[in-house]
Formats: sequence, C-alpha cells, structure tokens
Amino acid sequence: MEAQFSADGDDTPHAIDMTTSEKVVDLLNQAALIPTDEKLTVLKQVQELIINKDPSLLDNFLDEMIAFQTDKSVEVKKFVIGFIEEACKRDNELLLRLIANLNMLLKDESVNVVKKAILTLTQLYKVTLQWLVRSKVVSEMQEACWDMVTQMKGDVLALLDSENDGVRTHAIKFTESLIITLSPRTQDSDIPKRQEGDISLDKIPKDHTYIRYDVLCEEGKAALEKLLKFMVHPAISSINLTTALGSLATIARQRPMFMSEVVQAYETLHANLPPTLAKSQVSSVRKNLKLHLVAVLKHPCSLEFQGQISTLLLDLGMPQTEITRSTPAPREQRKRPRHEQYTEGKKLKMEPTLMEDDEDKEEPAPLSVTKPSAVPVAQSAIDLTAEFLHPLLTPENVANLVLISMVYLPDAMPASFQATYTPVESAGTDAQIKHLARLMATQMTAAGIGPGLEQCRAREEDAGKEEGIDEDSGAKDLLIKRKVPAVMLGQAISVVGGYTEKAQPVEAAPLVKRLPEPILPSTQTKMAGTSGRKKVFRLPDVIQPLSDNQIEKLTSLAVKRILRSEKAIAQSGMSHVRVKLLSRLVTQFEGMMKEDVLDFILEDIRTRSDLAFALLYQEYNTYLSQLPTGLLDNYEHCLYTLLSGLQEKPEQRDGLFTKLVLEAPIITESALEVIRRYCEDESRVYLGMTTLKELIIKRPSRQFQYLHVLLDLSSHEKEKVRTTALAFLKRMYEKDQLRDYIEKFALNYMQLLVHPNPPSLLFGADKDTEVAAPWTEETVRQCLFLYLSLLPLNHRLVHELASVYTEAIADIKRSVLRVIEQPIRGMGMNSPDLLLLVENCPKGAETLVTRCLHILTDKVPPSPELVERVRDLYHKRVPDVRFLIPVINGLEKKEVILALPKLIKLNPIVVKEVFNRLLGTQHSEGSSSVSPLTPGELLIALHNIDSTKCDMKSIIKATNLCFAEKNVYTSEVLAVVMQQLMEQSPLPMLLMRTVIQSLTMYPRLGGFVMNILSRLIVKQVWKYPKVWEGFVKCCQRTKPQSYSVLLQLPPAQLTSVFERCPEMREPLLQHVHSFTPHQQAHIPASIMSVLEANKKPEPKPVEPVVEREPEPVATSAAPAVAETPPVTAVTLKETELPVQQQPASMTEEEELMEQEESEPVRQEETVHAVSEVELSRAEKTPSPQAETTEEPMEASQPETSDVKEPEKDVPEDNMAEPDAGSGSENAE
Amino acid sequence: MPSHPLRVAVVCSSNQNRSMEAHNILSKRGFDVRSFGTGSHVKLPGPAPDKPNVYDFKTTYEQMYNDLVRKDKELYTQNGILHMLDRNKRIKTRPERFQSCKEKFDLVITCEERVYDQVLEDFNSREQETFQPVHVINVDIQDNHEEATLGAFLICELCQCIQHTDDMENDIEELLQEFEDKSNRPFLHTVCFY
Repeated sequence: MEAQFSADGDDTPHAIDMTTSEKVVDLLNQAALIPTDEKLTVLKQVQELIINKDPSLLDNFLDEMIAFQTDKSVEVKKFVIGFIEEACKRDNELLLRLIANLNMLLKDESVNVVKKAILTLTQLYKVTLQWLVRSKVVSEMQEACWDMVTQMKGDVLALLDSENDGVRTHAIKFTESLIITLSPRTQDSDIPKRQEGDISLDKIPKDHTYIRYDVLCEEGKAALEKLLKFMVHPAISSINLTTALGSLATIARQRPMFMSEVVQAYETLHANLPPTLAKSQVSSVRKNLKLHLVAVLKHPCSLEFQGQISTLLLDLGMPQTEITRSTPAPREQRKRPRHEQYTEGKKLKMEPTLMEDDEDKEEPAPLSVTKPSAVPVAQSAIDLTAEFLHPLLTPENVANLVLISMVYLPDAMPASFQATYTPVESAGTDAQIKHLARLMATQMTAAGIGPGLEQCRAREEDAGKEEGIDEDSGAKDLLIKRKVPAVMLGQAISVVGGYTEKAQPVEAAPLVKRLPEPILPSTQTKMAGTSGRKKVFRLPDVIQPLSDNQIEKLTSLAVKRILRSEKAIAQSGMSHVRVKLLSRLVTQFEGMMKEDVLDFILEDIRTRSDLAFALLYQEYNTYLSQLPTGLLDNYEHCLYTLLSGLQEKPEQRDGLFTKLVLEAPIITESALEVIRRYCEDESRVYLGMTTLKELIIKRPSRQFQYLHVLLDLSSHEKEKVRTTALAFLKRMYEKDQLRDYIEKFALNYMQLLVHPNPPSLLFGADKDTEVAAPWTEETVRQCLFLYLSLLPLNHRLVHELASVYTEAIADIKRSVLRVIEQPIRGMGMNSPDLLLLVENCPKGAETLVTRCLHILTDKVPPSPELVERVRDLYHKRVPDVRFLIPVINGLEKKEVILALPKLIKLNPIVVKEVFNRLLGTQHSEGSSSVSPLTPGELLIALHNIDSTKCDMKSIIKATNLCFAEKNVYTSEVLAVVMQQLMEQSPLPMLLMRTVIQSLTMYPRLGGFVMNILSRLIVKQVWKYPKVWEGFVKCCQRTKPQSYSVLLQLPPAQLTSVFERCPEMREPLLQHVHSFTPHQQAHIPASIMSVLEANKKPEPKPVEPVVEREPEPVATSAAPAVAETPPVTAVTLKETELPVQQQPASMTEEEELMEQEESEPVRQEETVHAVSEVELSRAEKTPSPQAETTEEPMEASQPETSDVKEPEKDVPEDNMAEPDAGSGSENAE
Repeated sequence: MPSHPLRVAVVCSSNQNRSMEAHNILSKRGFDVRSFGTGSHVKLPGPAPDKPNVYDFKTTYEQMYNDLVRKDKELYTQNGILHMLDRNKRIKTRPERFQSCKEKFDLVITCEERVYDQVLEDFNSREQETFQPVHVINVDIQDNHEEATLGAFLICELCQCIQHTDDMENDIEELLQEFEDKSNRPFLHTVCFY
C-alpha cells in the first residue's frame, strides 16, 4: 500500500505544488473509496497534516475526519478515536465539538472500540479538567462539556462491572488515572516525567466558578473505594487482579496518602487469594504482588508499612537480604510525618529520589524499625487488634488454636493454598508472632470483631464531635490533622473536605454509598461505621457447621418461605423464577421439603399446576442425568403423590388429571395404579378412561400396558365402570394395532370358563378366596363381558364361544345362554359366522345353537338361509325337533305337519311357544311372521295326528292351546275347522271334543253345531265309539236344542243315548209331548217306544236293560240293515275293535274330559314349577331339578322369556277354560 | 478475530536460540513478530561452561559467526551454534535488547521465568502513558535446540489461537488454561501497560 500511495504521488507530478489543504482534500477523497488498510494509512497522513503540519486546517477538516467514525471497520473507528484525542489535545476548544462523538464511540458495540475510547477518555479527562481550570470564564458550552465528561467518567467506572475482561482492565486503568488526577500531588509523590504537567487535585482552585474541588475530591476517594472493592471480589479474573495490583502500586507511589489502603489491600489479597484462580494464575499474581510490593516498599513513604510489606514479601518467598536492599533509608522518612501529606503541596516539593541509588545498607533491618509507636500516627483497627493479640500468642495458645481449627480444615487442600504455601521461616520469633497477630487481626476486623474496631468506633464518634466544633475553621483551614488515618474512607474524606454539608451525621454517608453496590459478599458481614478495610475472608473460617437437624429445619423453613411468598412473587411477575427455584431445590435435596411442596401444590393444584409440572420434570431430569444407574423412585413418588392427590380431590372439570398424566414423561406402575383407581371411581370413570385412552393412543411404546388396565376394568364389578370400559374398548378394537391384543385378552378370559372352578384371577389379588369356590353367574359373566361386546364387531369370535361352551360345566352353560342374547341379536341372522355355527353345530353346543336360533327369530321371521341351515342340521346331523322351533315359520307346511307329533310332545311351555310362533301370537307385532299353516289348518293337522305317533293327551293339550287363542280361533275359524273335520272319513277321534269346546267358547255356534250333529248322524257317527260318546255328550250339553237331533237318531242309537244318560229320556219325551199332534205324528213309533220305554216301572234290573239293548239294536237295525245290510256287519266288526280298545280309550277319554277342567290348573302348576326351578337356579343353589335339566335340550327351555310368557298366558288359559268361558259367553 | 494482526514479541535471554526459533516460525506463519533478549549481554556457549562467548547487543550475527568460525569452527559446527547463527542472520542482522525497544506490542512471550521477571520489571519501570495493555506470557523452554524447536511450535500454536479469538483480552485467560491442560506446563501470565 505504501507503494501504491507513492505511485499515486508519481501519477500526480504536480503534487508538490499542491497546498496542504489541497492535499488533504485529495487524501480524504481517496480515503472514502479505498479498503480499510489503505484507508488507515491515508487517514493517518491527513491527521499528520492537519494536526502537526498545519493545525489551522484542523477546524476545516474536522467534520470530514469525524465522519469516518461511522465506518464499518473497527480499526477506522479506533483511528477516529485516536484522532479525537490528538485533535483535542492540540486544540482544547475542539472538546466542545468532539466530546459527544467520543461518548458515542464509548458505547460502540465493538469492545475494541470501547476500549480505545476508554483509553482516550483517560487522557481527555485530564485535558478537559485542565482546560476548564485554566479558563477564566467558563462558558455554558464548557459546563455542558464537563458535565458530559463527568457522566462519561461515571459510565466508565460502571464498566468495572462489565462482562468483558478487557473492558474491565481498561476501566481499572481509567480508575487509576482518575484517582491520581482527583487527589492532590504532594512532595512525596512520585511523578512520572511525562505526567509532570498533568492536572491534579492540588492544582484546582477552590474558588473555581464551575469545577468544585470538594466534589472532585470526593469522586477521587469514591473511585479508590470502588477500585478496592473491585479488587476483593472473590471471582475477580487473574488479569483484572494483576491490573488492579499494578494500579494500586502506582497510586501508592504517586499518592502516598493512600499507601495505608494499598498495603492493607495487598495484605488482604495475600491472605485471601480468589479461590477461582488456577495454580499458574496464583503464581502469576504472587509474582506481580511481589513486584508491586517492592515498588511500594521503595517509596520513601512506605516507612510505617515496612514491617507489613516485608512480612508479605517474606511470605512471597523473597529473601530478607533482597527486601532490605529495597527498603529506603528510614532517616529520610522521619522528616515527613504522614499527617502532613495532605497539605495541598504548599511545602517545597522534595526532589524525587531514586531509592535504589539512595539505598543504605547499613540501616537496621526494617522489621525492627517499624514500631507503630515510633510514628505518631493514630492506629487503625487492625493495628489495635494486632497489638492486642500479640501478647496472647504464646506457643501454648497458638498450639491450641491450631488444634481447634484442625476441625474446620477442608478434606482436600485447596489449590490456592498449595500454591501459596511457603514454610514459615522464622517461626517463634517476635517478628513472626507479630505477623501472625496482624494476620489474625486482619481477619477479625473483616469479621467485625476485636478490640481495635471498638476503639476505632469510639474514636470516630469523638472525631464527629470534634468536627462539629471545628466546623467553621474547617472550611478555611484544610490542615486539620488527620486523626483517623486508614479508617473508614468516607469518614476521612468528610474530615478532609471539611464542608458543612458533608459534615452531617457521620454514618450516613458511607451507608448511602454502600447501598447501590451489592457486589461483595464480604461487605455484608461488616457493620456500618466499622473499618473500611475490604477483606475477602474465607467463609469456611468464619462459619460453623450446622447440625443435621438445624440444616433440615433451616432448609425447610427457607423452602416454606418461598412457598408462602406465592402471591407477592406473582405480583412481581417473577413466578416462573420461583417455580424454577422450588423445583430445583426440592429435587436436589432429599427430605421433608419435598412433602411440603407437594402438599402445598395439592392444596390448590389448579393454580399451582405449573409448579407441579416443573417439579415433575425436574425430577425426571434428575433421573435422566443419573442414567443408567439412576432410580425413578423420586420421580415416581412425585407423580404418584400428585395423581393420588388429584384423585382424592372432589371432582374437577379442568382436566388437570388428564393433563398431568399425558404430560408426564413416564407413567410408572404406581401412577398407573392411581389412574386405575381413578377409572374405578364411578363419578369419574369417563374422564379416567378418556385419559387412559389417550395414553394408549399417544404412548405407543407402552400402549399394551395401559390397554391392559382398561381390559382389566372391562370385567369390573361396578356396572358403570364396566360398561364404560367396554365402550372404550369397542372403539379401540377398531384400531388394527390394538385389535389382536384386545381379542386375545377377551378370548383368554373366556377360556377361563373351561376350568372346573373359577380361577382366583377373577377375584382380584386382594380378595382371599379359596380356589374351590364354585362358578357363579357373576363370575361367569365376568369372563364374558368383553368377549360379548366384541362379538357383534367380530362375528368370527362366535366359534370360540362354541368351543368353550362344549367344554364348560352345566352351570356355566346356563349362564352363557342367558348372557348371549344381546350380542347374538346384534349379530343378526345374516351373519355368515352364525350361519356357519348353525351348520357345523359342534357336538355339545346344540343348546347354544338352539338358543342362538331362538334369539335370532324371537322378533323377526327366520331368513331362508337360516331355515336351510337348520333344516340341514335337523335332517342330516342332529334330528332334534327342537331345532326346528325357531325356524318353524320358515318351514313348509308339510314339514311342520310332519314335525307336529314330535313338537307337541315337548315340554308344555315349548309347545306353547311353538304354537305362538305358528299362530303368530308370539308378539304383538306378529304380523311380520307368516306361518306356513293357517290356524285352521293347524287345528286340523292336530286332529289328524296319527295316534300311534303321539299320545292323545299331548294332542289334546295341543288343541287346548289352540282354543286358548281366542283371538285367532274365532267362531268362524272353528266353524270351518269343524266343517272340514266332519267331512273327513274316518272321523277324527277328537272331533266331538273340538265341537263341544267350540260350542262352549261360542254358544252362538249352537245352530251350526246342531247342523253338524245332524250330519254326523247321517255319517253314522255311532260307528266311531269315541266320536259317538262325544256326540252324546254334546247332545246332553246342548239340550234342549239337541232334542230335535236326538229325535233324528235311529231308535237303537237313541236307546244307546239313553243308556248313557238316562236323565235325557224324560225331557226328550216331554219335548215330544209338547209337540203338536201333527208333529208327534212324525215321530216314528219305534222312537216313541224308546222314549217311552222307561214309563215302565223303574226298578228294572239293569240286566234286562242290557239284554234289551241288543234288541233295540236288532230291531232298529232292521230298517238300517234293510238299508245297508252289509255295512252293519262291517260296522259291527269295526266296532268290535274299538270296543276292545274301549276300556283304554275310555279311560283316556275320561281323562280327556276331566282334563278340560284340570288342564289349566296343571299347566299353571308346571309353570310354577318351572319358574321355581328358574328361581332356584338364579339363586345358584343346585337343586335336584337342576340336575334333571342337565339334558342340554331341556336346559335351554326354562329361559326367562319363556317363563314369562306362560305366566302371562295363564289368565287366558283360565278364560279358555270351558265353564268360565261359557259363562262369559253367556253374558254376551 | 481481532481487527488487526497481533503484534508479537518473543523474548529470551540472548535473542539467539529460543526467541529466534520462535521468531522464525512465527514470521513464516505471517505474524507481525519481533524477537529480543533481556540479558545485559549476548552469551553463547564457549569451549567450557565457565567460558562463554560474550558479545554486546551491537554485534551482528554475522560478526559472531565469523568470530566463532575463527575460534573453533569444528566445535561450533558440531554443537550447532554456527548453524543457529547462520539462521539468525537470515532473519535479522543483530540481536536486540528488549529493554531498549520502544515499540508497542499486544503480546510478549518470554521463554523462561527469569526473562519474564525482567520484562515485567522493565514494564514497571517505564512510565505509563497511553495505558494500552500488553499481555506477557511466559512459556518455559530449556535452552537447547530441540526444546527451542518444540517451544517455538507451542508458542506458534498459542499465538494462532490467540489471533483467532474474537476478543483476545476477554478470552485469553480461558485459552491459557486450556493450553496449560493440553501442554501440561504452567504459563505465567500478566498484563502490563504502555
């Protein structure tokens, strides 16, 4: 770039002729366009030109130069700062224009710019002060300029707390310079040659119009105080510390009045090196300390501190001889008592002396020289305490002290100790004892104890009073003797300053000063008004270990305070900090406070949920950080307590429980247990299970664990819990990944049914039940709840049920049959799996299949597919007619008729059901089912049942069932039935019974019946003994209507009638007699003779009657025979057979008739018995009846719905009972 | 990165072996480097330990070279002194005394504790004017060729690290601690001011 520049020069041969101004313009124009490096070179040239070569140009080009402060480059900015410094030094007036720019740069974002600005301010502060002091009249502009400089000064002092180490270093140097400037130069001051002309406090007139001597003085002291405080910060960096040490040495040498503070600061530092320093840093700091101590020692004013300094140097490992060499001759020092140092430099300045040159080796060793008493200076608190301690430090006492303090030694030797330890060279000597006394005094004073402090305090008070007295003179005379050197700095200042407004209550000033500076922990232990020495004291030296109890109590109290401050903190908007603090504290330390915090949270968990979550996460975090050995115990306990707490609280609708569960990083076993309990609470079951569901869906890694809980709940004893669980499970069953698990669980559970006794699993672990407990309805249901709710969703499962069913014991089978109604109905008869089940019908599962068929067809007519399957089953595999019942309406007429004999032999209740189905009377909405048989056809079919296939009793019962359905078997229907039956040949055996029954039900059928009877006569009804008997009975019942029919009978038959019921004869005769003669004429004589036969004496033996019997037959047979002779023989022959049968059939008939009366009753009894059985089963007491019902088929019959129907029907049956029926009919 | 290249001074006792080795390497790596000695004289090994060759700082390397060649070429070839002087004279004409140098540096690296002390003493005896800081770091290096080479590389690495920090003054302490751990030797470190 140099070359380039010269090249430029070559390009412009007329450059030599240019004026300086032109050259500057040219350079500035270049500078605007070239890269940083070249720019700097060019700008430097400009600076040289306008500052040194032709300062008159400075003003002209100032703005152009300053404009570069906005350059992007840090180096250019730094250059501008340098330029500002040079320019201001050259022309102080420029300060007015440039100081604000410097202020701007002081706040630049680049630390390097800031650092450069601090350096410049260090210079310009002095320049500005000098300039103002020199000005006779201070303009407003100047005032403002000074104000700004003052403010910048404050800003830089504040940078002592900057985050940046380098910035702090620069701030320290600024502070150093500031202290020098703002304190008076004395004749003892070392004055660097270059700074000889620099302003210092002593050159500031006290009557200046704007600058105030006293204020500056205060500022200087404050700066020193700040620096001293800064230095004892326990975490100070090694570089800052080094810098500060150097600064203090400079201050001590240039302003010996501060030597006491400096030496004390060195002492304190030496005893308390910051614990943060590394080993090599400790060495560096010690080396520096040594260097600076020597420098201070060499200063003539070090006299009274020589003892302390040399002890320190000895400790730092400097040989005594070297120390002695650096010690100035004391003779000279005596001439300058210390109290004269603050005298504004009125006395003649001493020639600065180079101590090395003046070194007087013949002087006695400094240690013995430094007797405080030799110097008429008031002692500091440390001095006093040290003096007090000195005689006490006997070897014995020291030994005891060592022994006692052994206890408080740390387990491991601190690095700083190790680095700084030097063997005590002169143990036991007076010098060493003195040193020890001083060390102890330093620590004691720092800790605020010791006689020295008390005395000092007392003295301060005296001084305060004295000051009050001296007030007037104080303002004029600044030569007040400094009575309390090295004590409270602020105190001393107020004495020196001597201004009235500063001489206020003594303690107020330092207090105010301390308040905004909470940097140093050590200052907190100091009491206001005590020594201003800044000691970093080691905490372990001062504190005593608390007992475990105390610790626990204190921590607990502390935590409680934080807990209780909830509202106050919330108002300040720092709740999150509190929450964080609490959670960290509690997780870090064991003990009671964990419970306290948890209790506190649970008191009002709604508003404290953030704390709850913070705590939980913190615990989890702790667990994670300890992996892989860490235990979840703490976390688990926390989660468990929170969840349990929530569970025990009255119901909340805010979903906090759910939130906690879902946001907890891990759900532990015990937490899951709480969730389970939550689900078992009937009032929260829904919320609980929703939560569980969310868990299952959102935490796939453990979903089966959660799912298992829900599955467990599906057989819960509380119905609400169970149904809710089932509802949830049904929804989850639709999810593919859960499906298998749920299904497997359900099947496993159902599989339990094959055990002879219920496994203890069903009772839960806490219930103490012996394994041999019998199955109960309850336990069986428990095994099936889940399965049954899945069944409608997955029909395939039905086969599993069948296989379990076949293996299960009878009790279980019964229970199973009871519970499957809903699900089977849900599946519907079109379910292919159900059809398959019917088709296959595993052995042993017949009752199950039948039950299924019943359930399916209970309300709807069977589908053709179902009918087909059942038909197949019936015909090919299990010829049990009961299969047909459910699908009976789906069968063909022929099939039904074929099955009828078997059907009516079944249990009456079953028969009733069959009829209900066939007659469509099963349900109110029976219209949907279309029976293959009309009611009439059914009744006719019954009449036509082959008596070899079915006993008459069953048939009669069956017909009775028909008659019971009065709504179906109307008079019209019955009339048609009778008509058809009558036309059959041979006549059905039960014809007359039906006729009588019909007549009883519908008396208005009387005419029709008479017609029937008449036609029967034509059909020679007497040839069918049973029918004939009925015929007679019918006539008997229908008299007098039947008289005309009777009269149509042939005489033989009429005789037979009368033989059967002799009481008929007389009324019939009467009836004939009531005829008109004409009518009577129509009565054949043979008839009449029969009618009148009994007019003969009654006491006729029966025998003749019997004998006579054939007679009428014979006689009456005559015309008949005449009409159909062969028939008679045939008939006779035919009658022979029935006659032979008669005894049997008679009895049967008797029974038959009797049954008319007794049947309903019996039926009722049966119903009763059945329902009793039912009840007894429901009560789970195995009864003998139950034993009998073990036949699978029968087991299926006594089923609740079936039982109820007969019961309902009972009154109908009663109604249908002939007598009662006739009564009611009569009422019509 | 600091905004300007680091100005480095490497200082040993006689500005012959350790500081020159580091000077050599640092300048090859592009640093703005100078080297110095702090002794009152330049001492080079002689025929016996108690008979060193002593020169003042005005003597050029060339002159020393010629002097030693004349005295005992074989000895000084064998112990590498001639080779070292030969290298030195290619770098600069003569040794320099640190105390006489008024140039300002950002970083002064000393090669033994005694030198470090002397540098500190020098800085402290100077009158401070601008308060511009200079960091002084001591890296202990034994005064032989091998150690000088190793030490030079260590110094070079250190300088490179410091050069690459965003804010040298803020980061240097931490950096040095890391270096101490890495190289397993302590570094004295302080800051002085111009």
